Amino acid sequence: MIGRLFRWVVLIGFTVVTIVPFLWLVMSSFKTNAEIFAGPFELPSKWSLDNYTSALDAHPILVFLRNSFVIAAFSALVTIAASLLASYALLHKFVLSRLAYLYLMFGILLPVNAFITPIFFLVRWSGLYNSVWGVGLVYAGIFFPTGFLIIKVYVDTIPHELLEAARIDGASYHAIFRRIVVPLSVPGVVTAGIFLMMLAWNELLFASILTQDESSQTVQVGVRYFLTTYAAQYPQAFAATVMAIVPPVLVYVFLSNRVIAGMTAGSVK
Amino acid sequence: MSNRRHAYLYLAPGAALVTLFLVGPMVALIYLGMTRWVGVGTPEFVGFANYRQLVEDPSFRQAVGNTIKWAAVGVFIHTPLCLLVALILARQPRFWKFFRTVFFLPSVISTTAIAFLWYFILHVDLGMLNKTLEVVGLGSLTRAWLFDPSTALISTQLPFIIYIGFGMVLLMTQISTIPAEVYEAAVLDGASTLRQELSITIPLIRRGIALQCLFVIAYALRAFEYPFIMTSGGPGDRTTNLSFYIYRQMMTANQYGLAAAAGVVTLVLGAAMVAAVFVFLNRAERA
Repeated sequence: MIGRLFRWVVLIGFTVVTIVPFLWLVMSSFKTNAEIFAGPFELPSKWSLDNYTSALDAHPILVFLRNSFVIAAFSALVTIAASLLASYALLHKFVLSRLAYLYLMFGILLPVNAFITPIFFLVRWSGLYNSVWGVGLVYAGIFFPTGFLIIKVYVDTIPHELLEAARIDGASYHAIFRRIVVPLSVPGVVTAGIFLMMLAWNELLFASILTQDESSQTVQVGVRYFLTTYAAQYPQAFAATVMAIVPPVLVYVFLSNRVIAGMTAGSVK
Repeated sequence: MSNRRHAYLYLAPGAALVTLFLVGPMVALIYLGMTRWVGVGTPEFVGFANYRQLVEDPSFRQAVGNTIKWAAVGVFIHTPLCLLVALILARQPRFWKFFRTVFFLPSVISTTAIAFLWYFILHVDLGMLNKTLEVVGLGSLTRAWLFDPSTALISTQLPFIIYIGFGMVLLMTQISTIPAEVYEAAVLDGASTLRQELSITIPLIRRGIALQCLFVIAYALRAFEYPFIMTSGGPGDRTTNLSFYIYRQMMTANQYGLAAAAGVVTLVLGAAMVAAVFVFLNRAERA
């Protein structure tokens, strides 16, 4: 009895601390400045989108959102392509395959934030500073071990007989990759894709050191403008925060099981 | 061309990514850490002078201490909470799927947005926390949570502590691999649920718990958004951690050599904490 009560207290307690802050945020994003400073749980006097339109006028949020999307999609694509190729190569054992595997997994636990200095200069010297492609490539690199781990698990489940049969039929090394490995890895690609895009979408540190203006800044970087330059414009800042949150939450609402599976896929072993 | 030659060709893109963005930067980091450099001209080799300077810098010492506190809070507060909820939901009580979906929600939201949200919640004038305390008659407890030296650090860690979704799902997955028969004898003996969790479930998922600790430690070394957005490392350096310290040395002080040396310390500290987890796991395996 006490056990059951305790269970429900825990579950409801965590539900409250998880949900209430977000509800408060959304509600506040519709309030006027005066209302925000008044009661925390009173409904806004009118539900208008004024805060949202003025936030969109103040800073190019839509451009930030587009940059975030381009960077997330590009980096996920590069990581997935490289992971598929490498996983296929490692299906066949050869002299250095174990070493190659360890090399590719190198960095899975590295605190990559420690690398901002060298990576900053690498990107600057390569001429990709302040460009979505620079940020995208860096993400593809630092998130590669994570993506590779997920993809490899799927590629490894392809039955060897299938590859062997194709080879006997005269399919070349490349043809087997294109016609068997890639199609059969689609579920893994989707899982890794969701995870990698979320990682890239949510990253802040590299995005802020590698970019300079709205041509390449992501929504995570851009949203900070509302705190630094519009210190008094809390309603706008609330609205901007909501806009930064909405895209991944929408994906989650429709695909929650896949997202949960994708985000924890690398950790099940 | 033989298959082996093809294999190297297929490995090349992945190897290039790892070399360019992980291995190369690590080598460069170690070298840069032994130079004095403001970003232009040639780096001047100074040996271990940067490390000496770091050790003498109170901000840096505070940053190391705070990073260790992030890891400690993750391992000793956050992870037990993840475990508690995972144990409850793994028994599939009513609405368990709903709870799982809700608890995981913050994991898909950027840390930046969460840091913003909690900056507002803890805000002295408009924050939900102070307003709520006033409404329920605990007005005396209200304070500027993020600016009060005694509460600043824990306030920046609060969202990290209570958003348990990721660790919860990780541990639930581990629990789900335990076959039901394992519990049969215990149930026949009349062992309570608590007893079963303590002497069957937890020992069986010790590797999952160790993995969760590794993730949490990796996060502690990476944590940047909370101090950056909520406090800018202040008051004083109360909330400065290694990630934020490196960022500041680099972006505001242009001390690239010093920033790199701090990066090397981060790597070493990370390796030491990971090693500690393995030592504990080993001991648990033998016991």
